[in-house]
Amino acid sequence: MLQFYDVCKTYPNGTVALNKASATISKGEFVFIVGPSGAGKSTLVRLIYREELPTSGYVFVNGANLSRLKPRAIPYLRRNIGIVFQDYKLLPRQTTHENVAFAMRVIGATPRDIARRVPATLDLVGLSDKADAYPDELSGGEQQRAALARAIVNRPLIVLADEPTGNLDPVTSWGIVQLLLEINRGGTTVVMATHAKTIVDSVRRRVIALDRGCIVRDKQRSDYGDLGGGERAWAQGLSASSSGKP
Amino acid sequence: MGARSFSLFLREALTSIRRNGLMSLASATTVAVSLFILAVFLLTAVNVDNLASTIESGLEVRLYLAADLDSTAVDGLKAQVASLDGVTEVRYVSKAEALATLRQQLGQDSDLLEGIDQMNPLRDSLRVFTKGSAWVDAVAAGAATLIGVEDVGYTHDLAQRILRVITAIRLGGLALIGLMVLATLFVVSNTVRLTIIARSEEITVMRFVGATNWFIRWPFLFEGMFLGLLGAAAAGLAAWQVYIWAVSGIYTNVSFIPVVPVYPLAWRLGFSLLGVGGLIGALGSVLSVRRFLRV
Repeated sequence: MLQFYDVCKTYPNGTVALNKASATISKGEFVFIVGPSGAGKSTLVRLIYREELPTSGYVFVNGANLSRLKPRAIPYLRRNIGIVFQDYKLLPRQTTHENVAFAMRVIGATPRDIARRVPATLDLVGLSDKADAYPDELSGGEQQRAALARAIVNRPLIVLADEPTGNLDPVTSWGIVQLLLEINRGGTTVVMATHAKTIVDSVRRRVIALDRGCIVRDKQRSDYGDLGGGERAWAQGLSASSSGKP
Repeated sequence: MGARSFSLFLREALTSIRRNGLMSLASATTVAVSLFILAVFLLTAVNVDNLASTIESGLEVRLYLAADLDSTAVDGLKAQVASLDGVTEVRYVSKAEALATLRQQLGQDSDLLEGIDQMNPLRDSLRVFTKGSAWVDAVAAGAATLIGVEDVGYTHDLAQRILRVITAIRLGGLALIGLMVLATLFVVSNTVRLTIIARSEEITVMRFVGATNWFIRWPFLFEGMFLGLLGAAAAGLAAWQVYIWAVSGIYTNVSFIPVVPVYPLAWRLGFSLLGVGGLIGALGSVLSVRRFLRV
């Protein structure tokens, strides 16, 4: 589904964001991209949805070499990719329903499809009762759920999440991660860039670690079936940390 | 673009104008003010040009004829003069008519002319009108060589001076109008750009969810066009009213200054403004959106 071959990315100001990074992510995988700030996580994500081009090396998405993709074809690439950002990027003057419907309208969906699929997707992320609320009337977690709904409403092959829990408290973060896991269970490839160590440790999934632009670790963790252990550890961590809060 | 997406884009544009009410109002107002200034300028230029043409067309060459010409000779001469380059009209004035005109001009003092009817000292003449002051010299020189023309009368210096002034006014007016059009373009497209920068967020989201560039452009294009048309309509209405008021003021107070009648000038100006407004709005939008579409 995703392939990186010796990918280097140097920004015009000289910053080296990625250095000879190679990795393959198969269809249906759930992968964490971890590493300290500035390690190149966001760059890696941005390369996948062709917001950036590699300085050298190749990125393949669903078999297409992004370096040779015509600008005209980029929108069609992105229709296969659902993107979630740390700052949600919801349109402030549209309701939750409109924000999600927006993603469908933009690719020319019929009103009937929109009327059918938006409520179903909102239901999936647990926002049915907030359909008519505006983003500033939602909590951070709800806003991120809305953004997630927008990312998956067109049934993409890949969901990219760049620090999706960066602005959220641990409990809310866990809810978002669970949603991503659920989306992944439906067969969607999920790539999540994060530096939330607790989340990565609790969920036994493949981890690609970046440091100063290099992939320093790529650990396949096969414990796919049972999430119990991880969740328990998470819950314990939560009860310990939440004792200080009301 | 099919009919369905066309109506979708139109609706999107209208919705977004409503949503961004204040910003829309601001840009439409800017368009209106800029185009109004341009319109007033154009109206002034058209009238100055009209005035210049009127003065110019009043410049005539007078050919005084030999006393012994019969009517066939006069007709032949008329035809010869008319065929000269730059001549628009040749009018025969008999010496009796000339005297009558003189008497009229003298008004109460016309009794000075008492008794000269029997021995009219004036001569028959041809009044020759030219296309403009630039032709006067050549026509006068050409006519002077014709048989039967005794004398040529015209004010060489005046013709030259008027020619210079008129040329200066026309060139200056044209340059100023060019500048005004540029300034209007700049102001309007800048305003549209501000509207769009305020909504760069929306464009970003559209790009991330896979909207094609034209899908992003169309609503903005329509929106810019609407705002441009709206502003142009306001500017046109205002300019129209102001012109009506100005024309009637000039008629009543300084009636010797010729003005271009309100119609059909108002129609022409109105449609031009609408065209320019719509075009600038649409173009400004598309150009401003462009920088957000670059990958």
